[in-house]
Amino acid sequence: MRNWIEKQRYIIDFTISSLLRRKVKNFGLLALYTLIVFILASTMFFTYAIKKEASLILKGAPEIVVQKIVAGRHDLFPASYIETIKSIRGVASVESRLWGYYYDSLVSANYTLLTPPSSDAAKPSAKTTVVESESGGQSARPLYELNGAVLEPGTLIIGNGVARLRNIGKDDYMPFRAFDGKVMNFRIAGVLSSQSELVSSDLMLITGEDFRKLFGIDQSHVTDLTVAVNNPSEVEMVASKIKKHLPDARPIIRDEILRTYDSIFNWRGGMMIVIFSAAVLAFVIFAWDKASGLSAGERREIGILKAVGWETSDVIQMKFWEGAVVSLTAFFSGVILAYVHVFFTGSIVFEPALKGWSSLYPNFELTPFVNLEQLTTLFFLTVVPYTVATIVPIWRAATIDPDSAMRFTGE
Amino acid sequence: MIELVNVKKVFNAGNPSEFSALNSVNLRIAENQVTVLKGPSGSGKTTLLSIVGCMSRPSAGRVKLQGREITSLPERFLTDIRRKTFGFIFQQPNLIKGISVLDNVMLPAYPLGEKRSHLKIKAMNGLSELNIANKAASKVEWLSGGEAQRASIVRALINDPHIIIADEPTAHLDTKLSYRFMEIIEKFKAEGKTVIITSHDPLVYESSMVDRVVNLRDGQIEG
Amino acid sequence: MRNSSLFFLYLSTGVFFLGLLLMHASFSAKAQQESLEEKSALVKALQLTDLCLFTEARYTRHLSQADLNTAFQDHPLSLEHFPSGSFTQPPERIIDRP
Repeated sequence: MRNWIEKQRYIIDFTISSLLRRKVKNFGLLALYTLIVFILASTMFFTYAIKKEASLILKGAPEIVVQKIVAGRHDLFPASYIETIKSIRGVASVESRLWGYYYDSLVSANYTLLTPPSSDAAKPSAKTTVVESESGGQSARPLYELNGAVLEPGTLIIGNGVARLRNIGKDDYMPFRAFDGKVMNFRIAGVLSSQSELVSSDLMLITGEDFRKLFGIDQSHVTDLTVAVNNPSEVEMVASKIKKHLPDARPIIRDEILRTYDSIFNWRGGMMIVIFSAAVLAFVIFAWDKASGLSAGERREIGILKAVGWETSDVIQMKFWEGAVVSLTAFFSGVILAYVHVFFTGSIVFEPALKGWSSLYPNFELTPFVNLEQLTTLFFLTVVPYTVATIVPIWRAATIDPDSAMRFTGE
Repeated sequence: MIELVNVKKVFNAGNPSEFSALNSVNLRIAENQVTVLKGPSGSGKTTLLSIVGCMSRPSAGRVKLQGREITSLPERFLTDIRRKTFGFIFQQPNLIKGISVLDNVMLPAYPLGEKRSHLKIKAMNGLSELNIANKAASKVEWLSGGEAQRASIVRALINDPHIIIADEPTAHLDTKLSYRFMEIIEKFKAEGKTVIITSHDPLVYESSMVDRVVNLRDGQIEG
Repeated sequence: MRNSSLFFLYLSTGVFFLGLLLMHASFSAKAQQESLEEKSALVKALQLTDLCLFTEARYTRHLSQADLNTAFQDHPLSLEHFPSGSFTQPPERIIDRP
């Protein structure tokens, strides 16, 4: 055993010194390889973290959302439908929602305007969401709880992203152009916490009254409905009943919402496939370069090693270590860099792509959900194939006779 | 003692380019002697040497090492025998570039997994015996021809073989260095080692320490 | 120092740092529990359905609420002109119930 360890160490010594002999080539290779691992690991960390976070956060999403569809587009939801849905067996409660988008041409950003559900006022105990006061600074202790009372007509509670983008805060005023061209001025009553930006960055909470005035929606219509169900196992059934009673309605159940976020950043997505295919392509080039054979220098070297008493298996072990040294080095550097990149720098490399054309981008800190399984997957995706690709061409080495060293003439 | 019985070696068998390098060679090489295989180039010297040194297998015939038939042994055993029994000195020093002289010298011992400190002492002793201990840390590219050859001799000796095989050792050496080389050979002989040299250099085969000269021509032993 | 020692030193440093990062991950996952709870409470209180990841268009802002006719949902691989569209997929129900 001791001999075996010592032998492996000798082989590693030799392998590394042969790698160091071709410094430029091998360091270039290592850098490229590290970059690939870095990109793959960053993608993996980022997508896993965001999926996991989405699944945790969106557990509280409405069980069923019911939209009305007219000619394939969303339409305002007639308030008269509410009673129909309430009468369906298994429905616990129905709430109407008022929400929509407002395009701010000043900063060319889209905001989501939303009326907090009316039930909020009735159940103050359920409120745990906090609002930060601008006067106390970003990190100030929450001053008061978000409840219906704060949001009076003529005021707004805005998401932190809006506050940042427009550089406004509590008690500032913000003008809006209403549907009929009138200008409406709203006072900012509060800013949603920066911690909640992942869900609230572009939100503007507005009273139902103001919402209707701004967009010209009469009392007989709402945007959509949320339906709560008595028995969670009946959600599907209730949804299909809604569909049956109201053929122009479209129910969206929570499970679908969760699954939508579970398939976000799926490898089949356009940008993702570009990243992955780039990585795979680079990898194939490596492997091909390796598998396409041994250079004359390498053949000669293997000849010498065999002549001085190395077995074919020793040469294979040397090649194994060559692959292992390069890929393990790249793996560790790449993964560590990726972790720092995703969870400490907020994925700056991906940011331009993630931001896309949106001018309002949430500033969020991802919770680092990393597990050994991810690392194992990465390991098998990167280290193993490369090492194998290094060993594969070695069957050629077996054909190099030890006496070839005797036949070399001239250096 | 090494015994060759009816050894043949054919290259590119079955191809139009087929040619036989050795034809029915029968040879006994005695222990603790210096044997020179002499002959013009293309006479099969190197082929014979590589068969004797277990580097390649004969196409036909048998090779016995100390009475043991080795022709049919699998590669692993053959390598093991080669490693422990033979030390090779090539026409070219055949050192591996980019690593130090010391590392080169220790190379044949790597697969044996000997403790590094012991191995290093052994290698340093070998180097100082041939007066190149001061070059131990240098890269092989920086060695002169004579130094490189001495380094390759130290490498051949690192596993303490009792048979030394040298293929045209003086081909790239000047007269002075060739004499130095023969002095080293004499020392081996004094230590009780068996030496087999191929050469067509009179300085080698006419040397007084040579016990036997075998003449090869067209793959056959003359006389 | 021997090359192999350097290599093993590097490996153990790598493993050590990776372990450290995993520890950091589990610690900060705990530390951010509060912020997670805050977010999910907000989702519950405001009846939110989506993450605010991409604000360019309504079907990227509210992925799960998008209608069936927006450009990007025509094909899962479509590289439409919003970069975020290529990170996302059409809502599950479109794939599930054609």
